[in-house]
Amino acid sequence: MVPEPQALTLPAGGASLPAGAPSAGVRPTMRRRISLYGMTFALPLLIWQILFFFFPLVFLVALSFWTVRNFAMQPDFDTVNWATMYGRTVFWQAYGTTLALAAAASVLTSLLAFPAAYAIAFKLSDSARRWAIFLMVIPFFTSYLVRVYSWQIFLSDNGIINVILGWVGLGPFPMLNTVLATMIGYLTLSFPLVVLLQLFSLAFIDRTLIEAAHNLRCGRVRTVFEVVIPSARTGLVIAALFAFILSFGDFVSPIYLGGGDPTTLSILITDTTKSGQQWPRAAVIALTMIGTLMVVAFAAVKFAYKGKST
Amino acid sequence: MTRDTLVSFEGVVKRFGAFVAVQKLDFEIKKGEFLAIMGSSGCGKTTTLRMLAGLEAPTEGVIRLAGKPINDLPTWCRDTPMVWQSLALFPFLNVRENVEFALKMRGVGKAERRRRAEHWLERMQIAEFAERNISQLSGGQRQRVALARSLVVEPEILLLDEPLSALDAALKVRMQSVLKNLQRETGITFVYVTHSQSEAFSMADRVVIMSRGKIEQIGTPQEIYRTPRTRFVADFLGSSNLFTGTVRKAGAGLELDSPVGRLRLAGGAEAGTSATITVLDTKTHLSVAPPAGNVNAVPVRVIGEEFVGATATVYLETAQGQEIRVQKGHDELADLPLGIGQPLFAWWMPEDAHLVAEG
Repeated sequence: MVPEPQALTLPAGGASLPAGAPSAGVRPTMRRRISLYGMTFALPLLIWQILFFFFPLVFLVALSFWTVRNFAMQPDFDTVNWATMYGRTVFWQAYGTTLALAAAASVLTSLLAFPAAYAIAFKLSDSARRWAIFLMVIPFFTSYLVRVYSWQIFLSDNGIINVILGWVGLGPFPMLNTVLATMIGYLTLSFPLVVLLQLFSLAFIDRTLIEAAHNLRCGRVRTVFEVVIPSARTGLVIAALFAFILSFGDFVSPIYLGGGDPTTLSILITDTTKSGQQWPRAAVIALTMIGTLMVVAFAAVKFAYKGKST
Repeated sequence: MTRDTLVSFEGVVKRFGAFVAVQKLDFEIKKGEFLAIMGSSGCGKTTTLRMLAGLEAPTEGVIRLAGKPINDLPTWCRDTPMVWQSLALFPFLNVRENVEFALKMRGVGKAERRRRAEHWLERMQIAEFAERNISQLSGGQRQRVALARSLVVEPEILLLDEPLSALDAALKVRMQSVLKNLQRETGITFVYVTHSQSEAFSMADRVVIMSRGKIEQIGTPQEIYRTPRTRFVADFLGSSNLFTGTVRKAGAGLELDSPVGRLRLAGGAEAGTSATITVLDTKTHLSVAPPAGNVNAVPVRVIGEEFVGATATVYLETAQGQEIRVQKGHDELADLPLGIGQPLFAWWMPEDAHLVAEG
């Protein structure tokens, strides 16, 4: 008779405690330990982000409200910098130019990169694909600035391209200090990265989907548009986003290949800081750029994952 | 080739480098039949199906569809829709768009496309999920979408590559009857690749059994079950007892000297040659006393027993160590002592034994 009441009191006692108390005593500790373990490795990144991204950003916001008197900055809370910059046509022109150039670079890079990424993903043998990926990484070995300077050797009026064209009696065609040159610079910056990003999204496409499309009378070219691109959409959009971000903030190509005309926001920032120590106004431009990139990135990511349950 | 032949394989060989996936296939698929191609993995059954679909090109030989050679016809120019093992549904399209896909590729107009897709969505009982994403469907519902997507063009032939292997047992049985009814009602020729004997035998009109890139036997499920033609088939089906020996007396009333004794059967073979006979486990009987009359009897001991539903399988061993299985209803075994080690006689009628080819 003795074990019976004991057996009865146990569940009753358990019920008076918080539900699942015995197991709850073990699991959260373990979960806490796991999250602590993960945190230890994530912490340096967090500290880095707080120190070198969040604090400077806060400082930049504060700076945009400072004033400049006699070429010296003074802490202040004045909206005059915002009003001045947003009231200038030159600012909005530069904004429009930069947006248009970055959008064009993003589309152009994506279009030029796609056939390359497609060929590497679907047409090459495994070993050739490894070589192609390796070759795509090589451009990152050299500074972007050096690569842009070497384009000058090709594009200038007495550069390699015009000399060769001269042999067949053509040209010289002015290419340096044009939008075309700026665009070539943007391509130099983002093309290898876009190819790699596209390639990895194409490589993960389920090949049976392509076979299934062929089997349902979808020809080769049509399958690219009906199946390959929709399947790889997330990666393709993210790749285009990277091209946009890189081009939007780039200073090197528009100044050294485009000759500073038309003026982009990055050029406007340097001009503003040089003329009369107007760092607060430059902060307004920088913050506008950051805001624009955030909106574009958010919209792009939303579009990239549209219709996906996760 | 007869008039009711839809597909014929003529000396078809497929090699991947040095590996021979399929060697010398010669068989025909009749119009409107449900043909199952069965074998263990790597036997070449999927390669055979993929050649028919145009996803692989034969290395040698000719495949004809409705009399015309189709070797060089790419898959998008054939009407040989296939249902994949993974189903290969398009995750970026909803159910309706998946079903409409093949019609869209043929340039069928929007209204007509919708009407025809609707018909198949209803027929496959998935109309209520038409606007859903594929990821929101259960395994069985996905199966139905895959079938609707392939059948919407009302093809002459449908290829299925182990489509039920991912489903649980109960759903598998339900989908089998869905498939069989669908095939009977539409009259579309089904070519069904599987490694499952129960799937092949319960649905197919004819079964092709393949091993190592070759056809071992083609026939109705009954023919194959009752008279397996080769040792491989008998082993693969696993429902027969096999005895190997030397033929002693040829012609009618053939005798075989095997390790378990002298066995008689009704077939014919040349004297002096080695031969194997098979006896179905359901045609093998048990008795305590040596059976009288013109039967083959082997003394055995009971080594185990297994119950599945209404039938029991008794495992026995001969003095030479060969295992023999006997399958019976419970009541047929009621009067027998079946304790482990119990000596019994396993016996069968000579006409229930069949000679099989070695291999």
